[in-house]
Amino acid sequence: MKQRLTNIALSASIAATYMKAKLRQTLVATAGVAFGITVFIFMVSFIQGTNEYTQDVVFQQSPHLRMYNEVQIADQSLLDRRFPGVINQVHHQKPKDILLNLKDANQVLGELRADPRVQAASGAITTQVFFRLGSSSLNGKINGVDLKREDQLFNLSSKVIEGSYEEVNVKTNSILMGVGLAKRLNVTTGDQTLITTEKGGNFPVIVAGIFKTGLTDIDKQQCYASIKTVQKLLGVPASYLTEIKVKLFDKELAPEMSGQWQARYHYQGSDWKKDNASLLEGDVLRRMIVYGVAGTILLVAGFGIFNILTMMIYEKMKEIAILKATGFSDSDVRGIFLTQALVIGAAGAVMGLVFGFLISYAVSKVPFNSDVMITLDHLPVSFKPVYYITGFTFGILTTALSGYLPSRKAAKMDPISILRG
Amino acid sequence: MNVLEVANLNKYFIEPVRNQVLKDVGFQVKAGEFVAITGKSGSGKSTLLYLLSTMDTDFEGSIMINGEQMKGKTNRWLAAFRNQHIGFVFQFHYLLPEFTSLENVMLPARKLGLYPKEQIEQRALDLLKLLDVDSQAAKRAALLSGGQQQRVAIARALINDPSIVMGDEPTGNLDSANSATVFGLFKELAKERQQTVLVVTHDEDFARRADRRIYMADGQIVEG
Repeated sequence: MKQRLTNIALSASIAATYMKAKLRQTLVATAGVAFGITVFIFMVSFIQGTNEYTQDVVFQQSPHLRMYNEVQIADQSLLDRRFPGVINQVHHQKPKDILLNLKDANQVLGELRADPRVQAASGAITTQVFFRLGSSSLNGKINGVDLKREDQLFNLSSKVIEGSYEEVNVKTNSILMGVGLAKRLNVTTGDQTLITTEKGGNFPVIVAGIFKTGLTDIDKQQCYASIKTVQKLLGVPASYLTEIKVKLFDKELAPEMSGQWQARYHYQGSDWKKDNASLLEGDVLRRMIVYGVAGTILLVAGFGIFNILTMMIYEKMKEIAILKATGFSDSDVRGIFLTQALVIGAAGAVMGLVFGFLISYAVSKVPFNSDVMITLDHLPVSFKPVYYITGFTFGILTTALSGYLPSRKAAKMDPISILRG
Repeated sequence: MNVLEVANLNKYFIEPVRNQVLKDVGFQVKAGEFVAITGKSGSGKSTLLYLLSTMDTDFEGSIMINGEQMKGKTNRWLAAFRNQHIGFVFQFHYLLPEFTSLENVMLPARKLGLYPKEQIEQRALDLLKLLDVDSQAAKRAALLSGGQQQRVAIARALINDPSIVMGDEPTGNLDSANSATVFGLFKELAKERQQTVLVVTHDEDFARRADRRIYMADGQIVEG
C-alpha cells in the first residue's frame, strides 16, 4: 500500500515536471475545458432560470390539484343494466341533467385543510357569463372565490394594478376584472357594467379593481368576485361550490393525492402535471438541447486534451522507453499521462464553475422589462448546485476518458523498439 | 556464483521475413566479472543484450539472473526486477531532458522506494561526484554536453546498486579521455564492489582490456 502511494506520488511529480515544461499547451487545454464548463453552467442556469420563471408564472395561477364535477355520459346505459351480457347499442346518448356543484364541498374542504400535506385549500364557484357592451356581448368567466384563501394560493392581491382587492370582499356585486377584458369593455375602476348569465338573468356589477397576471388568456376573459356574489348571480344556495383548489407543500405528490381524493369523494380531478403537460414537455426538450450543446463543447475540449497528450507521447517515446528500462512499470507510465489529463480536467472544471457562476451572476443583474411578464425586472437565472455538480462531473469524465486512450498507448509502448532505433 | 546463466537461447525476427538472429546461445557470467561482447554489425550482440536486459521478452530458451528465471514473467514483475537488479547505460545517454541531472539519477531509486528522499539525494550526489559531474547536478539534463550526459546516465544506472550493469556501446560517443574514465569506473565496480559489468562494444581497445570477451558472429558465440 505504501509502495503504491509512493508510486502514485512519483508519477504525479513526473507529470508535474512535464506539464511545467509544456506550460503553454497545458494552459490552452485547461482553458478549453474551462470554456466548455463555463458555457454549460451559463446556458443551463439561464435556460433553467427562464423555465422556472415561466413555470412559476403559470403555476402561480394554477393550483397543484383541482377537483370539480364534469358533465359526463354514463358509461353504462339503462339497457345494459336491464339486459346484462348482451351487446346494447345506444346512438347519440345524452348526459343526464346534473348539478355541477360538489357534494358536501364545505365538509371536504374542512377535511383537506386538516391534512398535514396541504398548504391551502380553497373552494370556488365558476361560471360563464356575457359582458354587455352596447348591443354586442363579450364572452367571459367569473370566478367566485374565497378572496383571503385565494390570496394564499395564488398571491392574487399582488396582481391588482388598480383599485382595491379588499373592496371586492366587502362590497356585494363588485368584481375584479382582467386588464385585457377591462380594455375591451372600456371600463375602469368604479364603473358599472352589465352581465348576463347562462340562464339569461341580467345583473349590474361594479368594477372594484383591475388585475394583470401576465397570462393573456386569463387577463382577457376572467373576473374575480366573492363566492357570495357569484352564488347570487346564479341563484344557488350558499353551499354550492363547483371547484376545490389545493396547494400542497410538496407539489410532486399532486398526481398521487389527486387519485386518492377522487376515489374517496367521487369528484373528477386534475393536477398541475396534467394541466400543463405541454409546458413540462417543452422544459424537457429545452434541457435536452442545453445538455446536447454543452456536451458537444466538452467533447471538443476533450479532443484538445486527447491531441495534446497524444502529441506529447509521440515526442516522449524515447523517454517512456528510458523510464521503462530503469524499472517503471506500464501502470506507472499510464499514471503519468493520466495524471496530466486529470489535473487539466480538474483545474479546467473548477475554473469553468467559477467563470460560469460569474457570468450567470452578471446576467442575472441585467435589467429586462417585459409587458407580458410583469413580475420580471431582471433576466431570470437559476443558481442550483446540481448544475455545478453535473458540470464538474461531466468535465472530469470527459477529460479522464480523453486522457485514458493516449496514456494506455504510452503504457503499451515496447521500450525495445524505440531503443533499437 | 553465477549472476547470469543463459542456456539454449534462440531468437527470431518475424518481420519482414522469419530470420533467426540468435542460435542456441549459452554462457555463464560470474559475480564481479567485467564482460565485453563484441562482434560485427548484425551479429546479434545488441539483440542478445536487450534479451538479457529483460526488456525484450520474446525468446526461446532460458535466462537466469541472480537465480531467477526471466522467461514467462509479467511486465510488471520484470519492471520491478530491472529497477532493483539491472543498471542500464545506453549508447546515446538518454536522459530525461526536462529533469535536472540530480533528478535523473534519483528517479530509479525513488521508484524502488527503499530509502527516504533525502538519503537518495545524498547518494545521487555522491555518485555524481564520483563521476565528476556533481557541478552539473542542478542543471537540466538537456543543457549538458554529451560526455557529461553519459556520465550522469552511468550514475543513474548505479543508483540502486544493481547486480548487473549493462551497457550498449556506453563509450560509443565519448572522446578517448572520457572513454578511459568510464572504463576505469566499470573496472572498479567489478573489482571492488563485485558488481557484474556486461558491455556491448565496437571498441577493440575497450574489449581487449575487459576481464573476458565474448565474440559473436551470425548469432552464435564464436569465442569466450
